[in-house]
Formats: sequence, C-alpha cells, structure tokens
Amino acid sequence: MQGLGAALPVLLLLLLSAQLPRPAVAEQPPWAPGVERALDPSSRLAVGAARVALHNYNFHAASPSGLRALGQVRKATVKSIPGVGQKCYLQFTTEDYRSRENAGSCLATVLYPKKKSPPAVNIKCINTKDQKQIQEEDNRLYQKLKRQTKPITGSNIPDSFGNIEPALEPVWALAVAGSSYMMWEKSTEKVGYFMTQVKSVKQWMRKDDSLEFDYVILLHEMPTQEMISCHMRLIWLPGHPLKVKYTCDSENHRLEDGSGMESGSAAGIIREREENF
Amino acid sequence: LVDESMPKQRSHRQIPEGYNYTEYHPMEEIYKWMTQIQESNSELVTQHHLGKTIENRTIYYLQISQPSNKPKKIIWMDCGIHAREWISPAFCQWFVKEILQNYKSDAMIRRFLQNLDLYILPVLNVDGYIYSWEAERLWRKNRSPYMNGTCYGTDLNRNFNSSWGSVGVSYNCTSEIFCGSGPESEPETRAVAQFIEKKKTDILCYLTIHSYGQYILTPYGSTTTPPSNNEELMHVAQKAAAALMGKHGTSYKVGSTSSILYSNSGSSRDWAHMIGIPFSYTFELRDNGTHGFTLPSDQIQPTCEETMLAVTTIIDYVDQKYFPGGAVMLTSGSLSLSLL
Repeated sequence: MQGLGAALPVLLLLLLSAQLPRPAVAEQPPWAPGVERALDPSSRLAVGAARVALHNYNFHAASPSGLRALGQVRKATVKSIPGVGQKCYLQFTTEDYRSRENAGSCLATVLYPKKKSPPAVNIKCINTKDQKQIQEEDNRLYQKLKRQTKPITGSNIPDSFGNIEPALEPVWALAVAGSSYMMWEKSTEKVGYFMTQVKSVKQWMRKDDSLEFDYVILLHEMPTQEMISCHMRLIWLPGHPLKVKYTCDSENHRLEDGSGMESGSAAGIIREREENF
Repeated sequence: LVDESMPKQRSHRQIPEGYNYTEYHPMEEIYKWMTQIQESNSELVTQHHLGKTIENRTIYYLQISQPSNKPKKIIWMDCGIHAREWISPAFCQWFVKEILQNYKSDAMIRRFLQNLDLYILPVLNVDGYIYSWEAERLWRKNRSPYMNGTCYGTDLNRNFNSSWGSVGVSYNCTSEIFCGSGPESEPETRAVAQFIEKKKTDILCYLTIHSYGQYILTPYGSTTTPPSNNEELMHVAQKAAAALMGKHGTSYKVGSTSSILYSNSGSSRDWAHMIGIPFSYTFELRDNGTHGFTLPSDQIQPTCEETMLAVTTIIDYVDQKYFPGGAVMLTSGSLSLSLL
C-alpha cells in the first residue's frame, strides 16, 4: 500500500508529461496532385530547392575554381506527384562562391521523394566565366597541391575571424565541393545545409596522380540551427568525378513535429559514392 | 564590387581615438568603447543599465538623444542576441559611430534626431558572446545551466512571450533552438522585455540584428497570418532593401519569417509587434552562406555601410510618417508671430 502511494504521484507526472503539447512544424496545405503551381521565388521551398540543385551542381562539377552560390531565384513552380513526391521547377541566377561575381543562370528540377532518399536533381547552367579558364585554374591548384612533399594539414578553416590561409584555400574549396555531396544527399523540403567550417584536414599521400584528403567538416543545419559534424574522405583528380565517402554524427536534435518523438538516428552510416575507394 | 572609400572623417574628437570599426572586438573592448563613446559625446549619448545576464554580467544600452524640450518617440535596435553572429554587434557599433560622426552634417539624421531617440543595445547576449570568443566560436544561445549543469543555453530568440513554445523550437536543452523552461525564463529576455514593455507606447520601431542570410524579415515567424500593417511593413522593407542594394549590389530578400525563412515562435521581433510596436523587423546580415557566421573582417565595412542605408531608410520613413511637415514643428506662439 505504501509503495502504491509513492508510485502514484510519479505515475501522474509521467502521464502529465506525456500529455505536454509538442511544438508543431508548420503544415503545408494539400494541393491538387499533378497541378503545377507558381511559387513565390523568395519562398523557402523555392530557395531551398535552388540550393539543393546547386549542391548537386557543385559536386558534379568537381571544380574548386568553379563553385557557385545562389544568386536569386527568378521563377519557381512546384508540382505534387502522387505517390512519388514534390517536384520543383526553378530558374535562378548564381554567383561565384568566393567573389560573389555573377556566374550565370541555371534551370533545374528538384524532386523531393516521399520516401526518405536524396532529392533527384536535374540542372543546366550557363557559364559567364570561360570554362577553359576554370579548368586552367583547377589545374594550377592541382599542381600547387601536388608539389607539396609533406602531407598537408590544417584546422579551423576559416578561423574565428573568417580568414583562410592562402595556401589552404584550394583545400577549403575542395571541401566545399565534397561537402556539396553530403548536403545534397541530406537535404529535404524542410531541412537544408550550409558548409560552415573545415574543423580539420589531413592529406593522405597517394602513389597515383589523385589527391586524397581526410576532413572533419561542420555543416550548419536549418531550421534546427545545429552544427553537424561530418567525417569526409575525398579523392580529386581534375577532369574526373569527385570521390566522396562520408559519415555524419547522429542527429539527436529533432524538431518536434507533432507526430511523435523520433529517437536519434543511427550513427556511423557510411555513404559511398565510388567503389574501390 | 568592394567600395574602397574611407568613412568620412568629421570630428575625431567625438570618436574614441583609434577604435577600429572594421575589426571584431571582444566584450571587454566593447564595454570600454561604450564608456568612451558616452564620455566623448556626453551631450548626446548616455549609457544605461538594462539588466544582468545569467552569469551576472551587465547588459548596457546606449541612448542617443538630442537635447530638447520636445517629447520624443523611440527607435530601438538590439544586436548580438545570438552569440556567433559577430557581424551583428559590429554593426551596432558602426551605427552609433556613424550617427555621432554625421548628426550635425547629415540632413536626414539631423531631422530624425529632433523627433526620435535612438536606443542601441550593442550586445544583448553578453555571456554567449564571450563564450564564442573564449570557448566555442559557433555558440548560439545564452549560458543558462539546465539539468544540473549538464546542459547549457536557451535560444533567447525563442524565449520571448510570442506564442512561446508552439512551433520551430525544441524543449530539449541540448538543442540550439531550446526555448527555455518558459516564456521569459532567461534574465536577458526579461531585461529586454521589461524595458520595452514599459516604454512601448513611445517605441515606433523595433529592429533586431542577426546574421546570416541577407534578409529583411517582417512579422511573423509563429504564424503565416500577416500582421495588420503588413502592406506598409513590406513596402518600407522593400525600400530599405533597395537602398541597401544601391551601395554594393548586395541583394536582400524581403518577406515574413514564416514564408521565406522558417516557422519559429518566441522571437523578440514577433513579441515586439504583438505588443503594439508597429515597425518591427529582423535583419539577417551578410553573407549568403559562403562564410556564414565567420564573415571575414574585410567585409565588416561594406556590410555596415549598406546596412546603415537600410536602417536609416526605415528610421527616416518612420520619422516622416509620425512627424510630418518639415523638420521644425511650429508652436502656436511662433506661428502667430509669423502671421503679423
């Protein structure tokens, strides 16, 4: 009897805490399937999708000198495909990732699948910069890095004050290109990413012509505002696809979405882009 | 696209000698700067105690007030609510410097200072800011201990009493968007809220400065229902963004937080508008993600220059709206004299 008396208030507390309202995530109204509707170019769906398209572009371009950032979304539409997902159609301008100079506009489609898998992207961009020039810059960067006899290492790039040592700029730019793969894969309609910092980088010397780096990268996740730490292995040879292997820390900070608490996702999921790494 | 021009040097007397506004400063230097600014501009500037942080540090604001027997209305601007957004306190300091350097020569500043007092809070989240310098550069929240000191920090911009805890937050202290144990649970939030509540009938404009993303954000974050004065808010924000773009070509997006950024409850800007402050805006300064929170110091000047134009556009609009008809308000006495 005594035990029950002690247990009751605890039970009540447990019950009460289970009843606490969970913060909501803003719901999207249901739209007629198959109908393409216009999106405000400033809307987070449009801007988010454009960023995802650019992550895909930056990864596939595999060019540290040719990285692009989002300028402005000019036009956006979205279509709900029943049983498949949401598809965005976008037209946007881009800037050089570093210099903010106009880099030309792009047309893209981004399909966010209903089931949990990376968004499917199709993107075509106009080049305002001469592609040969970009290739030459990439080759210059490559040669500079190849000339190093000792393994390149670094940490906190950029540093607290936003500075990037000139000698490490190419290494940072490669990190952006490689991170684009991670960010593309992890993005959803609701969650987006920015590469914030290279926490550390270490070069693995190779006998062949490729350059190989081991990174710890911090990704800024929105809207959770979390800094996600990812371990990334990258292999680069100019003119070839970028090879990226990565694993990000388990995300145990979930936005309450009213549909029930999600426990932290499994840690250490390794995603490979290329076999025979 | 970088503007190489130096800020106009007016009276060196007014500005603390050698204070470099194009560098990031730790809190100790900002405290010293506030004292010096008041000392060298005592006819215009007074430093005030707003409250204390959870670690018992003082939160100060600066009041820029042209001496006058006229009752004034108030423009409030706070910076540094999120620790890692260093460009934000840098802008508040720049703004104060610009006003003090140009209030005698710049006609627009002269005009609005006759009607408006400027209340500037350079660093709201003092503990967090210090922590981002000394321990963790990417810290966001305050330094409030929870769970027996095993977890730290409330997101102050989720802690205000504006639909608190309803959307875009976490109830878990380990989250970057932890909204605290209740609305205004944090001393920093209470310090700001109590002050603004007291003065709300005189405050025409509430500005809160963040980074990054390049946005001018209108209410609300906690709901998609537009505010009663949405059209006017948007119109003025567009004007401000256009003025900003004119300086260095930087493009800002304008819209409500819930439509162009994300949904969130408990923001200071939502709360300010909900208690009746008509012109309430959140600024998210440079950049668009390339450097994010670690904006290089060579971008401090161009960022502050362009943002200055946006902010003064808003203040000017507010001034013209509430104090129309020329800089000098005629009293009945002088009016009858001029009719003779």
